[in-house]
Amino acid sequence: MKQILALAGKDLRLLLRDKAGAFFVFFFPLLFAIFFGLIFSGAGDEQSSIPIALVDEDSSAGSAKFIEKLNKAAELEVLPTTRSQAISLVRSGKRAAYVVLTKGFGPASDRMFWGDAAKIELGLDPSRKAEAGMLEGVLTRYFMEGFQANFTDRGKMRGHLQESIAAMNTAPDSERAYWSPLANSLKMMDDFFAQPTVSGDSGQSGEESSGWQPLKVEVSDVSVKRVGPKNPFDVTFPQSVIWGLIGCAAAFGISLVVERSKGTLVRLRMAPLSRRQVLTGKAVACFVSNLGVSLLMIALAIAAFNVRPYSLPWLALAIVCCSLCFTGIMMLLSVMGRTEASASGIGWAVLLVMSMIGGGMIPIFFMPPWMRLVGSFSPVKWAIITLEGAVWRGFSPVTMLAHCALLLGIGTVFFAIGATIFTRRGD
Amino acid sequence: MLQLTNLRKSFGSLRAVDDVSLEIRPGEIFGLLGPNGAGKTTTVSLAVGLLKPDSGTARVGGGDPLNPEIRSKVGVATQALALYEDLTGEENLRFFSKIQGLSGTTLNQRVGWALEFSQLSDRRKDRVKTYSGGMQRRLNMAVALVHEPPLLLLDEPTVGVDPQSRKAIFESILALRREGRAILYTTHYMEEAQRLCDRVGIMDRGKLLALDSVDNLIRDHGGRDVLITECSDGEKRTETDDPVAELEKLRQKGPLHRFRVERPDLETVFLNLTGKTLRD
Ligand SMILES: Nc1ncnc2c1ncn2[C@@H]1O[C@H](COP(=O)(O)OP(=O)(O)OP(=O)(O)O)[C@@H](O)[C@H]1O
Ligand SMILES: [Mg+2]
Repeated sequence: MKQILALAGKDLRLLLRDKAGAFFVFFFPLLFAIFFGLIFSGAGDEQSSIPIALVDEDSSAGSAKFIEKLNKAAELEVLPTTRSQAISLVRSGKRAAYVVLTKGFGPASDRMFWGDAAKIELGLDPSRKAEAGMLEGVLTRYFMEGFQANFTDRGKMRGHLQESIAAMNTAPDSERAYWSPLANSLKMMDDFFAQPTVSGDSGQSGEESSGWQPLKVEVSDVSVKRVGPKNPFDVTFPQSVIWGLIGCAAAFGISLVVERSKGTLVRLRMAPLSRRQVLTGKAVACFVSNLGVSLLMIALAIAAFNVRPYSLPWLALAIVCCSLCFTGIMMLLSVMGRTEASASGIGWAVLLVMSMIGGGMIPIFFMPPWMRLVGSFSPVKWAIITLEGAVWRGFSPVTMLAHCALLLGIGTVFFAIGATIFTRRGD
Repeated sequence: MLQLTNLRKSFGSLRAVDDVSLEIRPGEIFGLLGPNGAGKTTTVSLAVGLLKPDSGTARVGGGDPLNPEIRSKVGVATQALALYEDLTGEENLRFFSKIQGLSGTTLNQRVGWALEFSQLSDRRKDRVKTYSGGMQRRLNMAVALVHEPPLLLLDEPTVGVDPQSRKAIFESILALRREGRAILYTTHYMEEAQRLCDRVGIMDRGKLLALDSVDNLIRDHGGRDVLITECSDGEKRTETDDPVAELEKLRQKGPLHRFRVERPDLETVFLNLTGKTLRD
């Protein structure tokens, strides 16, 4: 055991001294994550409008007018649908929120100073507090714009006022006493609007309506089953972990070839070590650096790039399994070339193709279905999906365990093949 | 300490080691002398369990070197330098010591000793790739000695080493013999074998052609002394068992300008055994 640690320690030290190796193990993956993360954030800029599902349960001229406003709103991206559809869209994360214009919305929004307020139901994930506040603000603003338009439209205004006064006059006696001060002022306002003036900007009058509010937004929580990445770095950091693992697999695979060509492998085999120990030492070193790089990437993602993994314990398990899987890949790479140059060439070629079809460069969900199928032959795809499962896909424990088992299986098979070929080579 | 019995090893159709038997006792330096490709390195590899013999046995202290534990009794200075170039000299020694199971103060002591031995104490913190060839060669040998093995296999340990260091290496090898180590020393420099070795095996094309002390080898296979004389009609070579009597005879025939006697050495032994010179 001590000897295996000595072997692993030596390899880690060598890796740190190898500048090219360290670049591919650490800096390149980080560069990748940040670069592509920024590109995708840029692409998402026009998406800064909040996607909402809109349900019109009122289907009145008033609600249609409001919807027209929302459709034109730059802050929103509106999808009209039914209530049940809307809820499921939000639940599945396809829409940030749903907005329901409840029955009576139209008449209520045309009405002033009295009666029930226009009611909007707003449903969204409780964690999205910022969006909730913003949406509420946006909805209220557009609503009030319409409301103000009513004010400035003198003809309409007078219509409203007279309607209101008439309504008050027909109210039961008990209420009439309450309304009478307002009725007086409304009368005055009606007179005011009756004379022609230049400027008609006097929306403040509503303040006198003692407690009456034009719009009521009722927020309800919808627990979201997250399916999409929230943040481009959710996608690029799992990829960067893969790049780190690829860098390690290449570095250690090549280092085994270098040990062979430089004769140090002979020296190890003349030492009181079994071949199994020599390979275990290499594997431990590879695994430890895999783990180190992965944890470093994820820590950076969390600390600096606002990545919020869905489940940290599952992510830890995914990282361990990916690290083991790539240790197996390293073993297989180490027997692919005889010289440092050929090992490095073949190794990187294999790894790059594996990464390309497996979604290490371009995220899997951008790929057409047939390409995803081809990608299934790449361990990179399974590693990325497993990491994503714990970062944003929100895999169930069963799915998660199945993916981890698959990774371990791939790693074991590759390791066994590599180790067998390695051991068979006599010299 | 080392016992090779009827060892054979072929690479394809090439017989690299062909029926080699030899034994090295503690406190003995055994020289394996042969030209390039004779099979010396292959013999060393068989002795340390790096290769599996096709037939015959190799035993180290009675055990099979294919068994890892037995190998801790062996220190090998490989012919091809085998060091981690990106580690320092000290780190190399520490690593190989740990691999051999050393730890704690013993490890520190032995690494210190090995640095002294290889005259690299002042360069201990430099990476091996910055060392000269001779320094690397000395470190390569120190790695073989660091764990104090009773059997040393030194495969051409002096290649590329300057005369001063070579002398130092010889002295330390002699010191190791005094400590009772068994040493196998391969070389194609017959002077080295002649000077250092208690017994010498002459090897060519995988076969051990003769095995004895240097004196006995010369006596048995060196042939006769050669008397070379120069007179007015040129140089003349005469093989003889008694150069003095021969010289006397020639002087009576006429005046001699100059003479010298060539005594047989391992080179001649080799020539006589194989029909070719070592330097071919
Ligand atoms: N791994 C191998 N595969 C094939 N042939 C080999 C191998 N190792 C050695 N040989 C061959 O075996 C023969 C003996 O080689 P070996 O290295 O033992 O010679 P040597 O006496 O050490 O020579 P040198 O003085 O050049 O070091 C050579 O012909 C060599 O080509
Ligand atoms: Mg050799």
